[in-house]
Amino acid sequence: MSKSSSDLFREFRIQSISEFFRRNAAMLGYTGKIRSLTTVVHEAVTNSLDACEEAGIQPHIRVEVRELGREHYLVSVEDNGPGIPEKFISHVFGKMLAGTKAHRNIQSRGQQGLGISGAVMFAQITSGKATHVITSTGGEIVEVWVKIDVGKNEGKIVKKEKHENPSGWHGTRVELEVKGVRYIRSKQGVYWYLKLTAIANPHAHIELVEPDGRLIIFPRSSDEVPKPPVEMKPHPKGLLTDDVYRMAKVTRRTSVKRFLIGEFSRISEGKVNELVKYMAALRLIKTEKDKNVQEQLYKRLAEGEVDKVLRSFRGYTKVVREVKKLMEKPPDKITWHEAEEIVTAFRYMKFMAPPTHGLRPIGEENIKRGLSGILKPEFVTAVTRPPKVYSGGIPFQVEVGLAYGGNIGAGLDLLRYANRVPLLFDAGSCVTTLATRSIDWRRYKVDDLDRTPLVLMVNVISVHVPYTGTGKQSIANLEEIYNEIRLAIMDAARRLQTYLSGKHRKQYQAKRRKTFEKYVPEVARALSILTGEPEDVVRNYFLGFIESHFRAKEEAKENA
Amino acid sequence: MRKRVIHREKPKERFSYDPKKVLSRLEEIGKEILESIKSGKNPYFEVPTRGISNVYFDRKERVIKMGDKTSRRYFLNVAHARKFMQTLVIMSYVKRLVSESKHASLREAYYANKHTIPGTRENTFEDQRESDPIIEDLERMLGVLREEMHITADRRGYVYGDIVIKDGEDEFNAGKLGMGGWAVPGTVEHIQFPEINVDYALVVETAAMADRLIEEKFPKKEKALIIATQGQASRGVRRLIHRLHYEEGLPIIVFTDGDPYGWYIYSTIKQGSINLAYLSDKLATPEAKFVGMTMDDIKHYGLENVTEKLKGIPPNKRGGPSGDYKRILEEMEYPWFQNKEWQRQFKLALRMGVRIEQQALANKSLEFVAKEYLPEKIGNGVLLP
Repeated sequence: MSKSSSDLFREFRIQSISEFFRRNAAMLGYTGKIRSLTTVVHEAVTNSLDACEEAGIQPHIRVEVRELGREHYLVSVEDNGPGIPEKFISHVFGKMLAGTKAHRNIQSRGQQGLGISGAVMFAQITSGKATHVITSTGGEIVEVWVKIDVGKNEGKIVKKEKHENPSGWHGTRVELEVKGVRYIRSKQGVYWYLKLTAIANPHAHIELVEPDGRLIIFPRSSDEVPKPPVEMKPHPKGLLTDDVYRMAKVTRRTSVKRFLIGEFSRISEGKVNELVKYMAALRLIKTEKDKNVQEQLYKRLAEGEVDKVLRSFRGYTKVVREVKKLMEKPPDKITWHEAEEIVTAFRYMKFMAPPTHGLRPIGEENIKRGLSGILKPEFVTAVTRPPKVYSGGIPFQVEVGLAYGGNIGAGLDLLRYANRVPLLFDAGSCVTTLATRSIDWRRYKVDDLDRTPLVLMVNVISVHVPYTGTGKQSIANLEEIYNEIRLAIMDAARRLQTYLSGKHRKQYQAKRRKTFEKYVPEVARALSILTGEPEDVVRNYFLGFIESHFRAKEEAKENA
Repeated sequence: MRKRVIHREKPKERFSYDPKKVLSRLEEIGKEILESIKSGKNPYFEVPTRGISNVYFDRKERVIKMGDKTSRRYFLNVAHARKFMQTLVIMSYVKRLVSESKHASLREAYYANKHTIPGTRENTFEDQRESDPIIEDLERMLGVLREEMHITADRRGYVYGDIVIKDGEDEFNAGKLGMGGWAVPGTVEHIQFPEINVDYALVVETAAMADRLIEEKFPKKEKALIIATQGQASRGVRRLIHRLHYEEGLPIIVFTDGDPYGWYIYSTIKQGSINLAYLSDKLATPEAKFVGMTMDDIKHYGLENVTEKLKGIPPNKRGGPSGDYKRILEEMEYPWFQNKEWQRQFKLALRMGVRIEQQALANKSLEFVAKEYLPEKIGNGVLLP
């Protein structure tokens, strides 16, 4: 049986998208039976949280995982968000690699994976079923079944129904049927993921119905809905060639110079002139044959001696003129090579630190509320450090929360977050783990870390979190980030120490008191035999004496 | 018949055993504690300090005595609380013992009071080493002997001689109990002596020598009471010696080996010991005299062949003095040995580098000690102070 060429092409496309998914499974979060399920939930919950945040609604999210068969589940996530307008439904759930925030300079939860469309795709290729979406913006309720048309790379609504909405409900419910996954209550599973999410999002009410029908509620502990993050112009130090090249193709600016000044932060006229000199110098150094001399020149350039480097070449003005001409070109005419030259030159130049208003920390109060609400500890503290930059220009910020005692079990539990998103895998190589391990806890009255009930949460916030590996589950060990995490932990640990000292003092007093009280029955009996005074009378004399002694001591302490 | 130098004297003390005294002292202290706690004060015991720092030699009475340093043992003090409790527990135990006329050994007193404190994993006493010092402290606090509290010490030593002893219901002659004599009990407080037919008491260090003297009928011939200490004199024996001397007027003559250990036994009987300094009034007998062995005996009786070398290194040798030499040098410093007779003995011992045992006298003949040595020395009053 022969096939037409268009059929063949179509087949190739279908295969290639599936192939793409399979090949990039690790990067997309769909490896492993447990993790895949967590990723599906993560994508849906993230969408819900983002939607509510943008609309200023206090999120109420219900996750249900129903077991349909062996390694076969129905995941449903329902929120009280603004709902999705009918015409956008196929776009939101169907378009792969488009409309994601991957290339926007915004601090976002959705930095991982493909977004909800990835989950739709995963459901489709494991169970073959369309994703069931029920949504309303407050008007009529729209119920659709969405599939991804792998040929056209867009959503296809396979069935649509509309219902009346007399109660004015708004929100979205997504149901995904997935196979080849497993629900386990482990530290990589859905339960743990939602618990951590609830801690980092105290403004959200999250509930989970587990496959065995158990309902778990992570209640809201803060009324404050965080402001959505704002987009920031990219900073020259954090750029890749691809960023410049791609942005140049779509900009409305008329020249490369205007494009650089307008689309990036911290680039002025003066900086463009400087850039011209650096680019010219780099071109000239490249022509130098003597490797040693070349090394020297690169070094001097990095030290800012651009003028001297330039003057050391004969006829350098000609090269400078060429580069200047480049700056006047329309941006869409820029070549990959030229974009690369620009990015390289940026590395040698100095820029003002980027603005930090785009960073959205959870905030000390909210971290405390989150930890208290979910973990019910005896003591909680939080530290939000001021923004810093890493690798010379990428802003980031570190937050730490520390909870002690109460319902917390023995041992230190580290909860890792990047932009509020829990990181559940690859803990060993993560900078948060390394920084935590480097702390000498005994200095903070935590004598035996394995027996102390402690939970430490670390949230690293950045427009561009430097992950290691493809899984985006572990943050790279960069010195600046490592140091900030350490400082934040130490600050929190000092507060814990203060608390424990007070507690120790009370415990010490109680223990001292006990040393006397335990002898009272013996003393009373003996003294009663010696004097004939009734034993219980003698006992009360002694107990009363101890009581008044310690009360006086405690009062003296409080008055001091 | 030779004229006797040694004879019975007029008694200086009277039988003074009164169990009520202990009971009233216990109640008195108990009431003081109770009064303190009633008035909201931190109750404490005033305990005379133990150890060498609180001991001195009373030159007038010529005994080692306890100084007046005391320390307070508070209830509300982390370091004292446990001992405070233990002191009261032992006090109540002693009250029961005395009022029920029962006696207990130190070990029995330990076990009788050891139990787990309710609600803890702690025992009232973990070890006998905890209860023994508490009992000693009580002796000093109350100014009574452990024996008066009906807590008996280890018994050691025996007596033989023509005296009638009344021990509770029993009455007997200590010269008619066979060769073994009468074993001295831990407590001799209640012992009375209705009849005494001896001129003096001879305190003998070794049982072997005591047995020899008994076999040779020395007690009968010399009208002597033999008291065998069997090494260092036990508290019972020391108290017995004290009472025989002060209550019955018996002169005390001590017969030990001629070595630093023997001389120390004499010193303890005579002046008391540092550990029991607080009891010197009741245990020491400063009027006791020393018959031998002395360094002069060696030459006088021609015993050069039966001496033994002192152990340890002499003071003029490298590493010295040690062992016996060191001990002799220490004893030379004792205030009660500061007389020319004793200093001479020590110097002779150091110079000759030898010691002489009581049994060495057997070199002459078995009966030599009973027939010649002792009668001659005691009869002629050749005694050291």
